Amino acid sequence: MRLLLVEDDPMIGASVQKGLRQDGFTVDWVRDGQAAELALGSESYDLLLLDLGLPKKSGLDLLHTLRTRGNVIPVLILTARDAVADRVKGLDSGADDYLVKPFDLDELAARIRALLRRRAGRADPVIRHRELVLNPATHEASFAGTPLVLSAREFALLEALLDRPGAILSRAQLEERIYGWGEEIESNAVEVYIHSLRRKLGADFIKNVRGVGYRVPKG
Amino acid sequence: MTSIRRQLLFGLLVVVVIAGLVAAWGVYLRAHRELDELFDYHLKQMALSLRDQSFEQLAGEPVELTDAFDFVIQVWRPDGARLYFSHPDATLPNRAQLGYTTVATNEGEWRVFSIQQRGLTVQVAQPMSIRNRLAAAAALSTLAPFLFLLPALGVLVWITVGRGLKPLAAVASAVKARTPAALHPLPEHSLPGEIQPLVAALNDLLARLERALTAQREFVADAAHQLRTPLTALRLQVQLAERAHDPEERAAAFATLHQGLGRATHLVEQLLTLARQEPEAVQRPPTEIDLAELARMVTAECAPLAETKGLDLGVTRANAVTVRGDREGLHTLLANLVDNAVRYTPAGGRIDVSAYRETGQAVLEVIDTGPGIPREERERVFDRFYRRAGNEMPGSGLGLAIVKNVADRHRARIVLEDGPNGVGLAVRVLFPIP
Repeated sequence: MRLLLVEDDPMIGASVQKGLRQDGFTVDWVRDGQAAELALGSESYDLLLLDLGLPKKSGLDLLHTLRTRGNVIPVLILTARDAVADRVKGLDSGADDYLVKPFDLDELAARIRALLRRRAGRADPVIRHRELVLNPATHEASFAGTPLVLSAREFALLEALLDRPGAILSRAQLEERIYGWGEEIESNAVEVYIHSLRRKLGADFIKNVRGVGYRVPKG
Repeated sequence: MTSIRRQLLFGLLVVVVIAGLVAAWGVYLRAHRELDELFDYHLKQMALSLRDQSFEQLAGEPVELTDAFDFVIQVWRPDGARLYFSHPDATLPNRAQLGYTTVATNEGEWRVFSIQQRGLTVQVAQPMSIRNRLAAAAALSTLAPFLFLLPALGVLVWITVGRGLKPLAAVASAVKARTPAALHPLPEHSLPGEIQPLVAALNDLLARLERALTAQREFVADAAHQLRTPLTALRLQVQLAERAHDPEERAAAFATLHQGLGRATHLVEQLLTLARQEPEAVQRPPTEIDLAELARMVTAECAPLAETKGLDLGVTRANAVTVRGDREGLHTLLANLVDNAVRYTPAGGRIDVSAYRETGQAVLEVIDTGPGIPREERERVFDRFYRRAGNEMPGSGLGLAIVKNVADRHRARIVLEDGPNGVGLAVRVLFPIP
């Protein structure tokens, strides 16, 4: 899952990015409202982590612009403003959740997972598809009852494909989901991961639509 | 405790009593004078009426006279033999001089009138005490209304003053009702003119208090808010350190944690410094401070940090110039300016510190080759917690606020300008010299 983090404090930004990467998220980090708008315009993200006190364009302004443009990306506000009125304002401006600083990395990751789950229309914290069970919180996976060992990228790829079973994701879209900015993308990486996943899950778990991309057929 | 009511009452009563006494004394003197005239005339009339009497047959037969008009009559023959003495037991001088005299005897003063006619000397005498008594009675009758008036006056004063002071009690209870949370002004309408200035002054004080308290409250809220940022970073950094799997990762995590701690510590220290430099908090007596010496001292203190950052920090001009002020405050001011320069100037840069005199003012100057501050931000950088956008350096946002506080206290002006050739920042603190 690829997230955009908008945070002007270098220490907090670096720590959140690092912590969320450890949790298996792909995190891009920008420092101000304008950069966030640019990033949101050029890449597709699954979720936006938004600080409110931003230079150049405030978090609330950015959120307002997003929502008036009809962008439905889940937004989690991270802020030091803890007054009830601030939270109400944040949520009413179109945020999906509100986390007050200082927060806990694990709680942040859990809330992100909950928002992503809700966006995908699932209530179950565990992703199930046929005989495959994925737990985004623990990064554990099992297939037909036997535990499965997946690398972080393999897990992310599978998660992306299972987000909307049946939908076709291009190679570029998949790369975007599993690589953040500045991360070196090895050529054929997606093919390599798909190949490895097919070995573990069976050849027809992931279908190839030639010249278009990959999909997991609906259960 | 002094009481206006009691003082007023006491003062008024004393004045009334004195006035009464003065009036009585006046009446007494006047009555006495009139009585003197009247009785003297009486004495004379009596003596004149007696001179035609034949006293030969009266001798030895004292005439009973009324007590109230105790006249004592003596008649002497030309040879000096007493022909008649109305009160043989009265002690009176034998033959006083003619006309009116006042004679002191061991029974008190007597008023005496003597007359000579056809060889006989007639003397009529009357004790002065009668006149005194009558005059005193007149005086007393004057004093009486005053004495009757006293209690009534007392009660009246007590009530009037009490009523007049009632607004004061109302003001007192209104002041008592004020709390740090509710400092709204006291009602000023329908107050006696004497109390109005007091209430106006109190309202002025309340307004100033409220402003100070609001500023303080905002500052505390601001400070708490600002402390959240380094604390958030610390919490995240601790979690990352806990999650670290291998020693290398852990060491890196601890290194960032150290930086985070350093930043939090710096912020707390700057907050404390700011609190100490608040104009209300400083009570040190001003001393003469040599700015050149101060420049050398601060530069020496900051030199090690500048060196580790690869900066060329030095004093370029140090002319002897002194200002009167707070040594600790000025040290903080210059240290913050140099610290800022060291913080924001990239490696290989140069920082020049100077102290000199210039047309009626003393100047402290710090010039760096850092990124400078855009013109439009030069006002705002002195605001508390203002941090410039895209600022990578972990500052507290308080350094220049502290500098401004100290400068304001010394009535000094701070000028931010581009450095030489438009590169970097030149900060000048201009102190007025009398």
